[in-house]
Amino acid sequence: MEYTFHWARMFSGEPAQWMWDGFVTTLQISFIALICSMLLGIIICVMRMTPFKPLQWLSLAYTEFFRNTPLLVQIFFWYNASHFVIPASINEWMNDLYYWFPGPFSMFGHEFVGEWMLLNVEFITGTIALTVYTSAFIAEEIRAGIFSIPKNQLEASRAVGLSFLQGYRFVILPQALRIVIPPLISQALNLIKNSSLCMVIGVGEMMFQATQIESYHAIPFEAFSVALLIYMTISLFVSFCITMYNKHFMIQVRY
Amino acid sequence: MKRLVIVLALVLSFMFAASVASAGKIEDVKKAGVLVCGVKDSVNLFGFVDAETKELVGFDVDICKAIAAKLGVKPEFKVVTSKNRIPMLVQGSVDMLAATMTHKFSRDEQIDFSITYFMDGQKLLVKKGGGINSAADLANKKVGTVKGSTSEKNIKKAQPKAQVISYDEYPQAFMALKQGKVKAVTTDSGILAGLKASDDNPEKWDIVGEFIASEPYGLGVPSNDSAFRDFVNKSLNEMWLDGTYQKLFKKWMGYDLPEGWTIELWPM
Repeated sequence: MEYTFHWARMFSGEPAQWMWDGFVTTLQISFIALICSMLLGIIICVMRMTPFKPLQWLSLAYTEFFRNTPLLVQIFFWYNASHFVIPASINEWMNDLYYWFPGPFSMFGHEFVGEWMLLNVEFITGTIALTVYTSAFIAEEIRAGIFSIPKNQLEASRAVGLSFLQGYRFVILPQALRIVIPPLISQALNLIKNSSLCMVIGVGEMMFQATQIESYHAIPFEAFSVALLIYMTISLFVSFCITMYNKHFMIQVRY
Repeated sequence: MKRLVIVLALVLSFMFAASVASAGKIEDVKKAGVLVCGVKDSVNLFGFVDAETKELVGFDVDICKAIAAKLGVKPEFKVVTSKNRIPMLVQGSVDMLAATMTHKFSRDEQIDFSITYFMDGQKLLVKKGGGINSAADLANKKVGTVKGSTSEKNIKKAQPKAQVISYDEYPQAFMALKQGKVKAVTTDSGILAGLKASDDNPEKWDIVGEFIASEPYGLGVPSNDSAFRDFVNKSLNEMWLDGTYQKLFKKWMGYDLPEGWTIELWPM
Protein backbone atom coordinates (compact mmCIF):
# COMPACT_ATOMS: atom_id res chain seq x y z
CA MET A 1 0.00 0.00 0.00
CA GLU A 2 1.33 3.38 -0.96
CA TYR A 3 0.34 6.42 0.99
CA THR A 4 1.59 9.97 0.77
CA PHE A 5 1.19 12.07 3.88
CA HIS A 6 -0.24 15.54 3.45
CA TRP A 7 0.30 17.12 6.83
CA ALA A 8 -0.07 20.66 5.51
CA ARG A 9 -3.68 19.97 4.51
CA MET A 10 -4.45 18.82 8.02
CA PHE A 11 -3.35 22.08 9.61
CA SER A 12 -5.10 24.56 7.37
CA GLY A 13 -8.56 25.47 6.21
CA GLU A 14 -11.51 23.20 6.83
CA PRO A 15 -9.77 20.21 8.47
CA ALA A 16 -8.08 22.43 11.04
CA GLN A 17 -11.35 24.22 11.77
CA TRP A 18 -13.25 20.95 12.15
CA MET A 19 -10.59 19.44 14.35
CA TRP A 20 -10.67 22.50 16.58
CA ASP A 21 -14.48 22.34 16.82
CA GLY A 22 -14.23 18.68 17.73
CA PHE A 23 -11.56 19.36 20.33
CA VAL A 24 -13.71 22.04 21.98
CA THR A 25 -16.80 19.80 21.97
CA THR A 26 -14.84 16.92 23.48
CA LEU A 27 -13.60 19.19 26.25
CA GLN A 28 -17.12 20.52 26.90
CA ILE A 29 -18.82 17.16 27.03
CA SER A 30 -16.03 15.63 29.15
CA PHE A 31 -15.94 18.53 31.58
CA ILE A 32 -19.71 18.67 32.15
CA ALA A 33 -20.00 14.89 32.41
CA LEU A 34 -17.04 14.69 34.79
CA ILE A 35 -18.42 17.24 37.25
CA CYS A 36 -21.93 15.75 37.14
CA SER A 37 -20.73 12.17 37.46
CA MET A 38 -18.55 13.06 40.48
CA LEU A 39 -21.54 14.60 42.28
CA LEU A 40 -23.89 11.83 41.22
CA GLY A 41 -21.32 9.19 42.17
CA ILE A 42 -20.97 10.61 45.68
CA ILE A 43 -24.75 10.70 46.12
CA ILE A 44 -25.13 7.11 44.92
CA CYS A 45 -22.33 5.98 47.17
CA VAL A 46 -23.73 7.69 50.29
CA MET A 47 -27.12 6.16 49.48
CA ARG A 48 -25.46 2.77 49.59
CA MET A 49 -24.00 3.60 53.01
CA THR A 50 -27.23 4.74 54.65
CA PRO A 51 -28.79 2.39 57.21
CA PHE A 52 -32.09 2.71 55.26
CA LYS A 53 -32.53 -0.53 53.26
CA PRO A 54 -34.61 0.61 50.22
CA LEU A 55 -32.06 3.34 49.47
CA GLN A 56 -29.31 0.72 49.60
CA TRP A 57 -31.17 -1.49 47.13
CA LEU A 58 -31.82 1.42 44.81
CA SER A 59 -28.15 2.34 44.82
CA LEU A 60 -27.07 -1.27 44.32
CA ALA A 61 -29.44 -1.68 41.38
CA TYR A 62 -28.19 1.57 39.85
CA THR A 63 -24.51 0.68 40.05
CA GLU A 64 -24.93 -2.88 38.87
CA PHE A 65 -27.19 -1.92 35.97
CA PHE A 66 -25.07 0.91 34.60
CA ARG A 67 -21.73 -0.72 35.34
CA ASN A 68 -22.60 -3.94 33.55
CA THR A 69 -24.03 -2.68 30.27
CA PRO A 70 -21.92 -1.35 27.39
CA LEU A 71 -21.73 2.41 27.11
CA LEU A 72 -22.63 2.29 23.43
CA VAL A 73 -25.91 0.53 24.24
CA GLN A 74 -26.60 3.11 26.93
CA ILE A 75 -26.00 5.98 24.53
CA PHE A 76 -28.51 4.52 22.09
CA PHE A 77 -30.84 3.85 25.00
CA TRP A 78 -30.82 7.44 26.17
CA TYR A 79 -31.09 8.77 22.65
CA ASN A 80 -33.72 6.51 21.10
CA ALA A 81 -35.50 4.56 23.81
CA SER A 82 -35.96 7.55 26.11
CA HIS A 83 -38.44 8.73 23.49
CA PHE A 84 -41.00 6.31 24.89
CA VAL A 85 -40.55 7.35 28.52
CA ILE A 86 -40.31 11.13 28.43
CA PRO A 87 -43.61 13.09 28.18
CA ALA A 88 -44.42 14.22 24.66
CA SER A 89 -44.20 17.95 25.39
CA ILE A 90 -40.68 17.70 26.80
CA ASN A 91 -39.74 15.43 23.94
CA GLU A 92 -40.87 17.95 21.35
CA TRP A 93 -39.03 20.75 23.07
CA MET A 94 -35.86 18.67 23.32
CA ASN A 95 -36.04 17.49 19.72
CA ASP A 96 -36.35 21.02 18.35
CA LEU A 97 -33.66 22.37 20.65
CA TYR A 98 -30.70 23.72 18.73
CA TYR A 99 -29.22 26.48 20.83
CA TRP A 100 -25.78 27.97 20.74
CA PHE A 101 -24.76 28.79 24.29
CA PRO A 102 -24.52 31.58 25.43
CA GLY A 103 -26.01 33.25 22.35
CA PRO A 104 -25.20 36.69 20.95
CA PHE A 105 -24.13 39.24 23.57
CA SER A 106 -22.16 42.46 23.73
CA MET A 107 -19.37 43.27 26.14
CA PHE A 108 -16.86 46.14 26.24
CA GLY A 109 -18.54 47.62 23.18
CA HIS A 110 -17.94 44.45 21.14
CA GLU A 111 -20.64 42.30 19.64
CA PHE A 112 -19.97 38.61 20.17
CA VAL A 113 -21.62 35.84 18.17
CA GLY A 114 -21.48 33.69 21.28
CA GLU A 115 -21.47 30.33 19.51
CA TRP A 116 -19.45 28.49 22.11
CA MET A 117 -21.42 25.42 22.95
CA LEU A 118 -24.11 23.74 20.88
CA LEU A 119 -26.97 22.50 23.03
CA ASN A 120 -29.20 20.00 21.27
CA VAL A 121 -30.81 16.70 22.12
CA GLU A 122 -27.76 14.79 20.84
CA PHE A 123 -25.35 16.67 23.08
CA ILE A 124 -27.61 16.42 26.12
CA THR A 125 -28.39 12.71 25.83
CA GLY A 126 -24.73 11.98 25.12
CA THR A 127 -23.72 13.84 28.27
CA ILE A 128 -26.38 12.08 30.33
CA ALA A 129 -25.23 8.66 29.12
CA LEU A 130 -21.59 9.44 29.92
CA THR A 131 -22.50 10.88 33.31
CA VAL A 132 -24.65 7.97 34.40
CA TYR A 133 -22.20 5.35 33.18
CA THR A 134 -19.17 6.94 34.83
CA SER A 135 -20.99 7.78 38.07
CA ALA A 136 -21.65 4.07 38.65
CA PHE A 137 -17.91 3.40 38.57
CA ILE A 138 -17.10 6.44 40.67
CA ALA A 139 -19.63 5.40 43.30
CA GLU A 140 -18.00 2.00 43.61
CA GLU A 141 -14.55 3.52 43.91
CA ILE A 142 -15.55 6.00 46.58
CA ARG A 143 -17.21 3.16 48.45
CA ALA A 144 -13.93 1.29 48.39
CA GLY A 145 -12.27 4.43 49.74
CA ILE A 146 -14.83 4.72 52.53
CA PHE A 147 -14.24 1.11 53.51
CA SER A 148 -10.58 1.91 54.01
CA ILE A 149 -11.50 4.45 56.74
CA PRO A 150 -11.88 2.63 60.06
CA LYS A 151 -15.54 2.21 60.90
CA ASN A 152 -15.15 3.55 64.41
CA GLN A 153 -14.52 7.05 63.00
CA LEU A 154 -18.14 7.26 61.93
CA GLU A 155 -19.22 5.90 65.28
CA ALA A 156 -17.04 8.48 67.00
CA SER A 157 -18.53 11.26 64.89
CA ARG A 158 -22.02 10.13 65.85
CA ALA A 159 -20.88 10.08 69.49
CA VAL A 160 -19.78 13.72 69.40
CA GLY A 161 -23.21 14.69 68.13
CA LEU A 162 -22.87 14.87 64.31
CA SER A 163 -25.74 13.52 62.27
CA PHE A 164 -25.21 10.68 59.78
CA LEU A 165 -24.81 13.03 56.82
CA GLN A 166 -22.64 15.44 58.81
CA GLY A 167 -20.42 12.56 59.84
CA TYR A 168 -19.89 11.73 56.16
CA ARG A 169 -19.51 15.36 55.15
CA PHE A 170 -16.92 16.36 57.77
CA VAL A 171 -15.18 13.14 58.79
CA ILE A 172 -15.40 10.28 56.33
CA LEU A 173 -15.59 11.84 52.83
CA PRO A 174 -12.64 14.26 53.25
CA GLN A 175 -10.40 11.32 54.02
CA ALA A 176 -11.98 8.81 51.64
CA LEU A 177 -11.92 11.17 48.64
CA ARG A 178 -8.19 11.76 49.13
CA ILE A 179 -7.53 8.04 49.11
CA VAL A 180 -9.51 7.45 45.94
CA ILE A 181 -7.86 10.21 43.93
CA PRO A 182 -5.62 7.82 41.91
CA PRO A 183 -8.48 5.54 40.80
CA LEU A 184 -10.64 8.59 40.12
CA ILE A 185 -7.96 9.89 37.75
CA SER A 186 -8.28 6.77 35.67
CA GLN A 187 -12.07 7.18 35.68
CA ALA A 188 -11.68 10.75 34.45
CA LEU A 189 -9.36 9.58 31.69
CA ASN A 190 -11.78 6.81 30.75
CA LEU A 191 -14.56 9.35 30.55
CA ILE A 192 -12.61 11.61 28.20
CA LYS A 193 -11.85 8.69 25.92
CA ASN A 194 -15.39 7.28 26.18
CA SER A 195 -16.78 10.61 25.03
CA SER A 196 -15.67 9.59 21.53
CA LEU A 197 -18.56 7.08 21.46
CA CYS A 198 -21.03 9.97 21.36
CA MET A 199 -20.22 10.31 17.67
CA VAL A 200 -22.75 7.56 16.90
CA ILE A 201 -25.66 9.86 17.72
CA GLY A 202 -24.21 12.77 15.80
CA VAL A 203 -22.41 14.74 18.50
CA GLY A 204 -19.66 16.62 16.70
CA GLU A 205 -16.79 15.68 18.98
CA MET A 206 -13.23 14.90 17.96
CA MET A 207 -13.62 11.37 16.57
CA PHE A 208 -16.68 12.51 14.64
CA GLN A 209 -14.67 15.30 13.08
CA ALA A 210 -11.74 12.99 12.36
CA THR A 211 -14.02 10.66 10.40
CA GLN A 212 -15.50 13.67 8.61
CA ILE A 213 -12.03 14.84 7.60
CA GLU A 214 -11.26 11.30 6.51
CA SER A 215 -14.21 11.14 4.17
CA TYR A 216 -14.20 14.69 2.84
CA HIS A 217 -10.50 15.36 2.50
CA ALA A 218 -9.17 11.83 2.06
CA ILE A 219 -6.45 12.21 4.67
CA PRO A 220 -7.42 9.46 7.13
CA PHE A 221 -4.02 8.74 8.63
CA GLU A 222 -3.29 12.39 9.28
CA ALA A 223 -6.72 12.99 10.84
CA PHE A 224 -6.57 9.99 13.14
CA SER A 225 -2.94 10.61 14.12
CA VAL A 226 -3.83 14.14 15.15
CA ALA A 227 -6.91 12.93 17.05
CA LEU A 228 -4.79 10.31 18.80
CA LEU A 229 -2.18 12.86 19.80
CA ILE A 230 -4.80 15.30 21.08
CA TYR A 231 -6.52 12.60 23.18
CA MET A 232 -3.14 11.62 24.57
CA THR A 233 -2.27 15.22 25.34
CA ILE A 234 -5.57 15.89 27.12
CA SER A 235 -5.22 12.71 29.17
CA LEU A 236 -1.60 13.34 30.11
CA PHE A 237 -2.41 16.92 31.00
CA VAL A 238 -5.32 15.93 33.23
CA SER A 239 -3.38 13.25 35.07
CA PHE A 240 -0.39 15.59 35.42
CA CYS A 241 -2.56 18.31 36.97
CA ILE A 242 -4.22 15.98 39.44
CA THR A 243 -0.91 14.38 40.40
CA MET A 244 0.57 17.81 41.01
CA TYR A 245 -2.44 18.78 43.09
CA ASN A 246 -2.05 15.55 44.98
CA LYS A 247 1.60 16.16 45.74
CA HIS A 248 1.34 19.74 46.92
CA PHE A 249 -2.02 20.00 48.60
CA MET A 250 -2.87 16.58 49.86
CA ILE A 251 -2.83 16.25 53.61
CA GLN A 252 -1.22 12.96 54.41
CA VAL A 253 -3.64 10.50 55.96
CA ARG A 254 -2.02 8.67 58.83
CA TYR A 255 -3.46 6.35 61.34
CA MET B 1 14.27 10.72 27.57
CA LYS B 2 16.53 8.87 25.16
CA ARG B 3 14.73 5.62 25.82
CA LEU B 4 11.39 7.34 25.24
CA VAL B 5 12.56 8.57 21.86
CA ILE B 6 13.67 5.08 20.88
CA VAL B 7 10.35 3.57 21.96
CA LEU B 8 8.40 6.21 20.06
CA ALA B 9 10.52 5.70 16.97
CA LEU B 10 9.89 1.96 17.14
CA VAL B 11 6.14 2.45 17.49
CA LEU B 12 6.02 4.87 14.59
CA SER B 13 8.10 2.63 12.36
CA PHE B 14 5.66 -0.22 13.05
CA MET B 15 2.78 2.04 12.17
CA PHE B 16 4.13 3.24 8.87
CA ALA B 17 6.29 0.37 7.70
CA ALA B 18 3.43 -1.72 6.38
CA SER B 19 3.74 -1.70 2.64
CA VAL B 20 2.76 -4.49 0.31
CA ALA B 21 3.73 -4.76 -3.31
CA SER B 22 1.04 -6.19 -5.57
CA ALA B 23 0.73 -7.29 -9.16
CA GLY B 24 -2.34 -6.48 -11.24
CA LYS B 25 -5.70 -6.90 -9.55
CA ILE B 26 -7.02 -9.30 -12.20
CA GLU B 27 -4.17 -11.76 -11.61
CA ASP B 28 -4.53 -11.39 -7.84
CA VAL B 29 -8.25 -12.07 -7.96
CA LYS B 30 -7.90 -15.03 -10.32
CA LYS B 31 -5.16 -16.51 -8.15
CA ALA B 32 -7.29 -16.15 -5.01
CA GLY B 33 -10.35 -17.48 -6.80
CA VAL B 34 -12.61 -14.90 -5.17
CA LEU B 35 -13.57 -11.33 -5.92
CA VAL B 36 -14.01 -9.55 -2.59
CA CYS B 37 -16.70 -6.90 -2.95
CA GLY B 38 -17.44 -4.17 -0.46
CA VAL B 39 -21.20 -3.70 -0.25
CA LYS B 40 -23.55 -2.06 2.20
CA ASP B 41 -25.85 -4.12 4.40
CA SER B 42 -28.41 -1.56 5.46
CA VAL B 43 -29.40 0.21 2.26
CA ASN B 44 -32.69 -1.21 1.06
CA LEU B 45 -32.76 -2.23 -2.63
CA PHE B 46 -28.99 -1.77 -3.07
CA GLY B 47 -27.32 -3.86 -0.40
CA PHE B 48 -29.32 -5.26 2.49
CA VAL B 49 -29.98 -8.44 4.42
CA ASP B 50 -33.01 -10.33 3.19
CA ALA B 51 -35.36 -10.88 6.10
CA GLU B 52 -36.17 -14.47 5.09
CA THR B 53 -32.96 -15.93 3.73
CA LYS B 54 -30.67 -13.83 5.95
CA GLU B 55 -28.43 -13.26 2.96
CA LEU B 56 -26.98 -10.09 1.50
CA VAL B 57 -29.01 -9.15 -1.54
CA GLY B 58 -29.64 -6.07 -3.63
CA PHE B 59 -28.76 -4.30 -6.87
CA ASP B 60 -25.13 -3.68 -5.86
CA VAL B 61 -24.75 -7.29 -4.75
CA ASP B 62 -26.04 -8.58 -8.08
CA ILE B 63 -23.69 -6.29 -10.01
CA CYS B 64 -20.80 -7.79 -8.05
CA LYS B 65 -21.99 -11.32 -8.75
CA ALA B 66 -22.20 -10.57 -12.48
CA ILE B 67 -18.68 -9.14 -12.61
CA ALA B 68 -17.27 -12.03 -10.58
CA ALA B 69 -18.94 -14.44 -13.00
CA LYS B 70 -17.28 -12.66 -15.92
CA LEU B 71 -13.91 -13.07 -14.18
CA GLY B 72 -14.70 -16.74 -13.59
CA VAL B 73 -14.29 -16.46 -9.80
CA LYS B 74 -16.59 -16.68 -6.81
CA PRO B 75 -17.95 -13.45 -5.33
CA GLU B 76 -17.33 -12.77 -1.65
CA PHE B 77 -18.97 -9.90 0.21
CA LYS B 78 -17.64 -7.66 2.92
CA VAL B 79 -19.89 -5.12 4.59
CA VAL B 80 -18.66 -1.52 4.33
CA THR B 81 -20.04 1.82 5.50
CA SER B 82 -19.90 5.25 3.94
CA LYS B 83 -17.06 6.10 6.27
CA ASN B 84 -14.75 3.12 5.90
CA ARG B 85 -15.32 2.02 2.31
CA ILE B 86 -12.54 4.08 0.71
CA PRO B 87 -9.88 3.18 3.31
CA MET B 88 -10.86 -0.49 2.96
CA LEU B 89 -10.34 -0.39 -0.78
CA VAL B 90 -7.06 1.50 -0.40
CA GLN B 91 -5.79 -1.04 2.12
CA GLY B 92 -6.81 -3.91 -0.15
CA SER B 93 -9.34 -5.42 2.25
CA VAL B 94 -11.79 -5.40 -0.65
CA ASP B 95 -11.09 -5.65 -4.39
CA MET B 96 -14.03 -3.57 -5.55
CA LEU B 97 -16.69 -1.32 -4.04
CA ALA B 98 -20.34 -1.45 -5.02
CA ALA B 99 -21.65 0.60 -2.15
CA THR B 100 -23.99 3.32 -3.42
CA MET B 101 -20.94 5.51 -3.88
CA THR B 102 -21.12 8.77 -5.79
CA HIS B 103 -18.28 9.37 -8.21
CA LYS B 104 -16.50 12.55 -7.19
CA PHE B 105 -13.22 13.98 -8.37
CA SER B 106 -12.07 14.46 -4.78
CA ARG B 107 -12.47 10.72 -4.28
CA ASP B 108 -10.40 10.06 -7.40
CA GLU B 109 -7.31 11.05 -5.45
CA GLN B 110 -7.42 7.80 -3.52
CA ILE B 111 -9.27 5.34 -5.71
CA ASP B 112 -10.48 4.99 -9.28
CA PHE B 113 -14.05 4.64 -10.50
CA SER B 114 -15.80 2.68 -13.18
CA ILE B 115 -18.26 4.36 -15.52
CA THR B 116 -21.51 5.50 -13.92
CA TYR B 117 -23.62 2.40 -13.31
CA PHE B 118 -26.56 4.09 -11.63
CA MET B 119 -27.85 7.64 -11.83
CA ASP B 120 -29.57 9.01 -8.81
CA GLY B 121 -30.42 12.36 -7.27
CA GLN B 122 -30.75 13.70 -3.76
CA LYS B 123 -34.20 14.33 -2.31
CA LEU B 124 -35.92 14.65 1.06
CA LEU B 125 -37.84 12.05 3.02
CA VAL B 126 -40.39 13.75 5.28
CA LYS B 127 -43.51 12.99 7.25
CA LYS B 128 -46.60 13.34 5.08
CA GLY B 129 -48.34 16.63 5.78
CA GLY B 130 -45.45 17.96 7.88
CA GLY B 131 -45.23 21.16 5.87
CA ILE B 132 -41.81 20.52 4.37
CA ASN B 133 -41.80 20.38 0.60
CA SER B 134 -38.34 21.49 -0.44
CA ALA B 135 -34.90 22.34 0.87
CA ALA B 136 -36.07 25.94 1.34
CA ASP B 137 -38.46 24.85 4.09
CA LEU B 138 -35.60 23.39 6.10
CA ALA B 139 -34.26 26.72 7.42
CA ASN B 140 -33.58 26.38 11.16
CA LYS B 141 -34.84 22.80 11.14
CA LYS B 142 -32.91 19.65 11.88
CA VAL B 143 -32.05 17.38 8.97
CA GLY B 144 -30.62 13.87 9.25
CA THR B 145 -27.91 12.58 6.93
CA VAL B 146 -25.12 10.04 7.06
CA LYS B 147 -21.54 10.87 7.94
CA GLY B 148 -19.21 11.16 5.01
CA SER B 149 -21.93 11.09 2.35
CA THR B 150 -22.21 13.56 -0.50
CA SER B 151 -25.75 14.37 0.59
CA GLU B 152 -24.37 15.79 3.83
CA LYS B 153 -22.21 18.23 1.94
CA ASN B 154 -24.90 19.10 -0.60
CA ILE B 155 -27.62 19.90 1.90
CA LYS B 156 -25.27 22.28 3.69
CA LYS B 157 -24.78 24.05 0.37
CA ALA B 158 -28.42 23.97 -0.69
CA GLN B 159 -29.72 25.18 2.66
CA PRO B 160 -26.94 26.72 4.81
CA LYS B 161 -29.45 27.43 7.58
CA ALA B 162 -30.41 23.78 8.03
CA GLN B 163 -29.18 22.13 11.22
CA VAL B 164 -27.49 19.02 9.94
CA ILE B 165 -27.18 15.98 12.21
CA SER B 166 -25.04 13.16 10.83
CA TYR B 167 -25.58 9.55 11.79
CA ASP B 168 -23.68 6.37 11.11
CA GLU B 169 -26.25 4.63 8.94
CA TYR B 170 -29.50 5.46 7.14
CA PRO B 171 -31.87 3.39 9.31
CA GLN B 172 -30.66 5.38 12.30
CA ALA B 173 -31.46 8.65 10.53
CA PHE B 174 -34.90 7.29 9.63
CA MET B 175 -35.44 6.29 13.27
CA ALA B 176 -34.61 9.85 14.31
CA LEU B 177 -37.14 11.11 11.75
CA LYS B 178 -39.80 8.78 13.15
CA GLN B 179 -39.12 10.08 16.65
CA GLY B 180 -39.21 13.68 15.51
CA LYS B 181 -35.56 14.31 16.32
CA VAL B 182 -35.05 15.48 12.75
CA LYS B 183 -37.65 16.91 10.41
CA ALA B 184 -36.29 15.32 7.25
CA VAL B 185 -33.79 12.76 6.03
CA THR B 186 -31.91 13.66 2.89
CA THR B 187 -29.98 11.43 0.55
CA ASP B 188 -30.28 9.75 -2.87
CA SER B 189 -33.89 9.07 -3.77
CA GLY B 190 -33.17 5.37 -4.40
CA ILE B 191 -32.04 4.94 -0.81
CA LEU B 192 -34.96 7.02 0.48
CA ALA B 193 -37.40 4.78 -1.43
CA GLY B 194 -35.81 1.80 0.30
CA LEU B 195 -36.16 3.43 3.72
CA LYS B 196 -39.75 4.33 3.06
CA ALA B 197 -40.54 0.77 1.96
CA SER B 198 -38.94 -0.61 5.11
CA ASP B 199 -41.49 1.08 7.38
CA ASP B 200 -44.65 -0.71 8.48
CA ASN B 201 -46.76 2.14 7.13
CA PRO B 202 -44.96 3.47 4.04
CA GLU B 203 -47.86 5.75 3.20
CA LYS B 204 -47.01 7.93 6.23
CA TRP B 205 -43.86 9.19 4.53
CA ASP B 206 -43.25 11.27 1.44
CA ILE B 207 -40.26 11.76 -0.81
CA VAL B 208 -40.32 15.43 -1.81
CA GLY B 209 -38.32 18.20 -3.41
CA GLU B 210 -36.38 18.83 -6.56
CA PHE B 211 -33.12 16.99 -7.05
CA ILE B 212 -30.77 18.83 -4.67
CA ALA B 213 -27.83 17.34 -6.52
CA SER B 214 -27.33 14.54 -9.01
CA GLU B 215 -25.50 11.52 -7.74
CA PRO B 216 -23.79 9.37 -10.35
CA TYR B 217 -22.86 6.07 -8.73
CA GLY B 218 -19.60 4.43 -9.74
CA LEU B 219 -17.96 1.18 -8.76
CA GLY B 220 -14.82 1.84 -6.74
CA VAL B 221 -11.69 0.11 -8.01
CA PRO B 222 -8.07 0.36 -6.78
CA SER B 223 -6.07 3.33 -7.96
CA ASN B 224 -3.63 2.98 -10.86
CA ASP B 225 -4.78 -0.40 -12.12
CA SER B 226 -6.17 0.38 -15.54
CA ALA B 227 -6.41 -3.28 -16.62
CA PHE B 228 -8.87 -4.02 -13.83
CA ARG B 229 -10.85 -0.83 -14.36
CA ASP B 230 -11.09 -1.49 -18.10
CA PHE B 231 -12.35 -4.98 -17.34
CA VAL B 232 -15.04 -3.65 -15.00
CA ASN B 233 -16.14 -1.02 -17.53
CA LYS B 234 -16.29 -3.58 -20.29
CA SER B 235 -18.31 -5.93 -18.08
CA LEU B 236 -20.83 -3.18 -17.35
CA ASN B 237 -21.13 -2.43 -21.08
CA GLU B 238 -21.66 -6.09 -21.85
CA MET B 239 -24.30 -6.34 -19.13
CA TRP B 240 -26.14 -3.42 -20.69
CA LEU B 241 -25.92 -4.85 -24.20
CA ASP B 242 -27.17 -8.32 -23.32
CA GLY B 243 -29.98 -6.95 -21.18
CA THR B 244 -28.76 -8.22 -17.80
CA TYR B 245 -28.51 -4.68 -16.49
CA GLN B 246 -32.07 -3.77 -17.44
CA LYS B 247 -33.33 -6.98 -15.86
CA LEU B 248 -31.51 -6.28 -12.60
CA PHE B 249 -32.76 -2.71 -12.54
CA LYS B 250 -36.37 -3.81 -12.98
CA LYS B 251 -35.92 -6.57 -10.40
CA TRP B 252 -34.78 -4.27 -7.63
CA MET B 253 -36.18 -0.82 -8.36
CA GLY B 254 -39.54 -2.17 -9.45
CA TYR B 255 -39.82 0.19 -12.42
CA ASP B 256 -38.30 0.37 -15.89
CA LEU B 257 -35.23 2.46 -16.54
CA PRO B 258 -35.94 6.20 -16.79
CA GLU B 259 -36.49 7.21 -20.41
CA GLY B 260 -33.39 8.38 -22.18
CA TRP B 261 -30.87 7.29 -19.60
CA THR B 262 -28.18 4.87 -20.64
CA ILE B 263 -24.89 3.98 -19.08
CA GLU B 264 -21.89 5.24 -20.97
CA LEU B 265 -21.53 2.83 -23.89
CA TRP B 266 -18.23 2.52 -25.69
CA PRO B 267 -17.85 0.69 -29.01
CA MET B 268 -16.36 -2.76 -28.50
